[in-house]
Amino acid sequence: MSALFSPRSNAVFRLVLVLLVGGAGGSVAAAMVYWRIPYGTGQAAPIVQPVQFDHRHHVRDDLIDCRYCHTTVESAPSAGIPPTELCLNCHSQVWNKSPLLDQVRASWFSGEPIRWVRVHKLPDFVYFDHSIHVSKGVGCVECHGRVDEMPAIEQVQPLTMGWCLDCHRDPYAHLRPPSEVTSMTWKPDGDPVEVGRALAEKNDVHPRTDCITCHR
Amino acid sequence: MPPLGLPIYGQARAPGLSAPRWRSTAEQARAPEPAPGEFPEGAAEPPSALGRRSFVQLVGAAAGLAGLAACKPPRQKVVSFVRPPPEETPSVAAAYATAASRGGYGVGLVVTSREGRPTKVEGNPGHPASLGGSDALLQADLLELYDPSRARGFVRGRRHLGRIALLQELSALARAQEREGGARLRFLVEPTSSPTLGDLRRRILQRFPRARFVAYSPLSEAQARAGAEIAFGRPLDASWSLVDADVVLALDADLLGRDGEILRQAREHAARRTTPAALSRLYVAEGGYTITGGVADHRFRMRSAEVLPFARAVAGELARRHGLPALAPLGAPAGGWSKQAAAVADDLWRARGRSLVAVGPRQPAALHALAAALNDALGNSGRTVTYRPTALLDADDGPGPLAALVAELGEGAVDALVVTAWNPLHTAPADLDLRQAFGRARERIVLASRDGETSAAATWRIARSHPLEAWGDLRSRDGTASVAQPLIAPLLETLSEVELLAAFVDQADRGDHALVQDGWRARVGGTGFDRAWEGWLAAGLVPGSATAAEPVAPDLSRVAAAVRAVPAAAPGLEVSFASDYRVLDGRYLENAWLQEFPDPITKLTWDNAAQLSPATARKLDLEDRDEVRLAVGGRTVEAGVLVVPGHADDAVTLTLGYGQRVAGEVGKGSGFDAGALRTAAAPWFTQGLEVTRTGRKADLVATQEHFSMQGRAIALAIDAPELAGAAAELDEHRGPQPTLQAPVDYSKQDYRWGMAIDLSRCIGCGACTIACQAENNIPTVGKYQVSRSREMHWLRVDRYFEGTPEDPTSVSQPLACVHCEAAPCEYVCPVNATVHSEEGLNQMVYNRCVGTRYCSNNCPYKVRRFNFLDYHQRMTPTLEMLQNPDVTVRARGVMEKCTYCVQRIERARITDRDAGRKIGGNEVVSACQQACPAQAIAFGNLNDPASDVSRWHQDARRYDLLHELGTRPRTAYLVRLRNPNPELA
Repeated sequence: MSALFSPRSNAVFRLVLVLLVGGAGGSVAAAMVYWRIPYGTGQAAPIVQPVQFDHRHHVRDDLIDCRYCHTTVESAPSAGIPPTELCLNCHSQVWNKSPLLDQVRASWFSGEPIRWVRVHKLPDFVYFDHSIHVSKGVGCVECHGRVDEMPAIEQVQPLTMGWCLDCHRDPYAHLRPPSEVTSMTWKPDGDPVEVGRALAEKNDVHPRTDCITCHR
Repeated sequence: MPPLGLPIYGQARAPGLSAPRWRSTAEQARAPEPAPGEFPEGAAEPPSALGRRSFVQLVGAAAGLAGLAACKPPRQKVVSFVRPPPEETPSVAAAYATAASRGGYGVGLVVTSREGRPTKVEGNPGHPASLGGSDALLQADLLELYDPSRARGFVRGRRHLGRIALLQELSALARAQEREGGARLRFLVEPTSSPTLGDLRRRILQRFPRARFVAYSPLSEAQARAGAEIAFGRPLDASWSLVDADVVLALDADLLGRDGEILRQAREHAARRTTPAALSRLYVAEGGYTITGGVADHRFRMRSAEVLPFARAVAGELARRHGLPALAPLGAPAGGWSKQAAAVADDLWRARGRSLVAVGPRQPAALHALAAALNDALGNSGRTVTYRPTALLDADDGPGPLAALVAELGEGAVDALVVTAWNPLHTAPADLDLRQAFGRARERIVLASRDGETSAAATWRIARSHPLEAWGDLRSRDGTASVAQPLIAPLLETLSEVELLAAFVDQADRGDHALVQDGWRARVGGTGFDRAWEGWLAAGLVPGSATAAEPVAPDLSRVAAAVRAVPAAAPGLEVSFASDYRVLDGRYLENAWLQEFPDPITKLTWDNAAQLSPATARKLDLEDRDEVRLAVGGRTVEAGVLVVPGHADDAVTLTLGYGQRVAGEVGKGSGFDAGALRTAAAPWFTQGLEVTRTGRKADLVATQEHFSMQGRAIALAIDAPELAGAAAELDEHRGPQPTLQAPVDYSKQDYRWGMAIDLSRCIGCGACTIACQAENNIPTVGKYQVSRSREMHWLRVDRYFEGTPEDPTSVSQPLACVHCEAAPCEYVCPVNATVHSEEGLNQMVYNRCVGTRYCSNNCPYKVRRFNFLDYHQRMTPTLEMLQNPDVTVRARGVMEKCTYCVQRIERARITDRDAGRKIGGNEVVSACQQACPAQAIAFGNLNDPASDVSRWHQDARRYDLLHELGTRPRTAYLVRLRNPNPELA
């Protein structure tokens, strides 16, 4: 009677074992890697907005402050997406016939809001508040990058919990005077950490790392 | 360490501070043996729905779809305003004052609005009927707004009408009725105090002089006003002030749960229950166990029909012993209650001018007249009790006018019947047979917020706007007017009562805002009206609109005649009806929050029951949950029996509102219709009930034995004079415990959040439970899941009885996570899903939780709740609007529990840090604390010595729950004080 299993079956069995164990571990590892690489976090993904709004032009060329459009950034959890009305504050006068602004005018006359594509998305169980970060001197540029150099907004930071915690544990290099929060080009006068420590002292900056700080 | 004479682990204990307390007769019978398990049987079993086949299907589907995980979901859209409304900031909550109707009277509310949708209801602190408190019904009314089963649209016969078409057809109907002056037009409405509805009624009656408005409420207070008519010759409303009353005799009056301005009365009652030297004393004479009976110092349990003889006995004792011969004709011999009647009479007399005799609306007019006479003789009139003309448009909203309407209907004298009252076919007395007569009207126009029995029998079904969707106005009992402003435009195609009535004078197209505002403009007028109007909306009331109390003098001879005309109660079993603490008269039957809300006394959920005393159950050879057939006057219903300790003997109490013939998904099969035994002649109680066992068992689910703490000393109560002597015993329930582990020092933190609950103030109404549910997106789970102890309420109110099952006293104890500083749950979590914050909060991290439930097993307080199923799975778009955006909606398989309303703490922290200041010691108000009408809960910063919670933690009555375990809870309790009359000891 011949052998029930051929000699090759030992190798096959080992291979199956390796695939099973390695596959399980590998899947977990792959998922962990995926959520940490820019592709997984959505960094630098090209996003097409319904209206070709150019932050670079408005911030760098026109010198419009962030807070002119994102009005509630100092007082509310949400920075605020500008209403159509706000666009037309200027664009009823300038470029008021530009085809690029067709949708904005259509929105104004029809009452239908513009449906922008969300770029920075935190999970639903994260309760982020713009106002406290702004009032304690975390610049817009720290999380949103050089908006003045972006023709179309993209996500530059990973927005992972580890990235949040890095700053909450050691915020000093990321602090600036609250008056300079919207500046895209502000540089500390000296060692960033030293300046940050002095600012933290002055502005009562105490980032917290309790779970309930962000999760409720 | 001194030997712990502690009442732990079910040892037999001496009466006093920590006398044995039990939650049900079953628990009492098996004491002191601890229950076999912490959770009821089956609580930990997986749902049976997932069989082998569906499991394999799911696995297959999961494998097949696994590849999809690589695809990213589409990016979310961000939608901005076109023109931003000036008062709305996205992501910031706004609050608006409005008013809700309770029995036709207004209660001021402040409603939180998030992005234009109301998400939370609170009482209006400036409104005299609320003072900032609310109750379970007011809290849960919000769910009605978003209920997916609400009625929508307008139907005439089988035709669906649009709004314009409806108004046109109503207008045509009105024109047709105009020819006869409205002789064949009738309106069946609820009692209301709305000035706008009053105006509309007047205008309708001008156009249709022969039409008539009939007000009917199944919970009518017409007997109280009839009593005032006897005593004073005018139908006045009595208003009780408990804060000025040292001695209160409540005669079948549920002052804290049902009758009068319960929110104000609860506040006033609580204010008099904390200082041992200045305690009020509350006597309650009643049949069924009520919230008020639960906090009474002396509760005389008697059949409802014996309350009048008891009151006469008190009057007789006052006349005999205290020189009030004028009362003698009102008096009567005391029967079995002579000792009690004498003691009550003495006490009332000692506190004359500061005492109060209050009568509930279930009692006959004669007793109300007698109480008016007693209050007058005791000098209480104008002090603890005041009388005002009723704010309602109809003084008589009882069965009388309805009977006349039924007669007209029966004669075929009514062509068009407009019904805005809630489901009269269900609520009308059974002997009137409105069901039969209703069909005789050709046009049956029913305005209803959901499909019920009445709208099913209608020819015009008109969906009704929720009060938060419509303009209106209301007066409270003292006459204070409020303009009720809507929080949201109607979600569905609906009509408000104002608009429907306006359609009969061709005004509906103007909309309810214009109708209400124009009415007030005409009423008040003046150049500054628009500004005043804005002020009223902001404040939630019209300042100075309260009516003055009227001076009164009772006519004793008429009172005596009325009292004597009341026949003695027939012998035999009494059946007694009461409004339900959860569904009221039935209008909240479809409200899942309230259905699952345990009754404050019986802890029953999802059903009503025939409540009777242990002795009566023995006499009738009944057990808990036996199904019985109740028969009186030839009418029968089948009901489940619930043995309630302390219920009056020879009486059965049935609560109204259940067992509706037409019900939706939530209310279907819920309870039995007690109203089927109710007659116009005896709407509240009658004798001659026959009870026969059907042999079946009723499926009643009560939470009273859920989450047991195994017979340890938990809810403490003591007679006030003994408090000083009990300090040593109380010290065993507080203070530092020896420990191997050095406690973490939180005193250096800015904030040390803590809570204190005063059992003396707590009335056990459960407003906190529903407020917590609304604030924290807590799901309901359904009757079957409740039966397996899977209810999700973060905050439960335990009700303990003390004494004999026949005549126990009770203590109610709200209990949520106590945020132990040495939390047993944290040691056993394998994934650090529950950890301490720097400020000492016990945090629950949903995303880390893997659902081992070790924490719940190790929690001695049994306050952790597990999502056995995905209770939020089937959320409709409207229910999504209900959720509080500041709180995570939890998924299946995670543990959850009270967070001390951490979202409110963090909100306050950010607001105050933005402004560069510290959070005030009393600044953060938890949802339960905000709702509590009795102010029994204090929350705040324990590191601020000036905060309320710090002071309560230092109180002589403070104790810690299960202190012997060394958990160092942040929630402290204050011992309940009782103030019994030494003469009745």
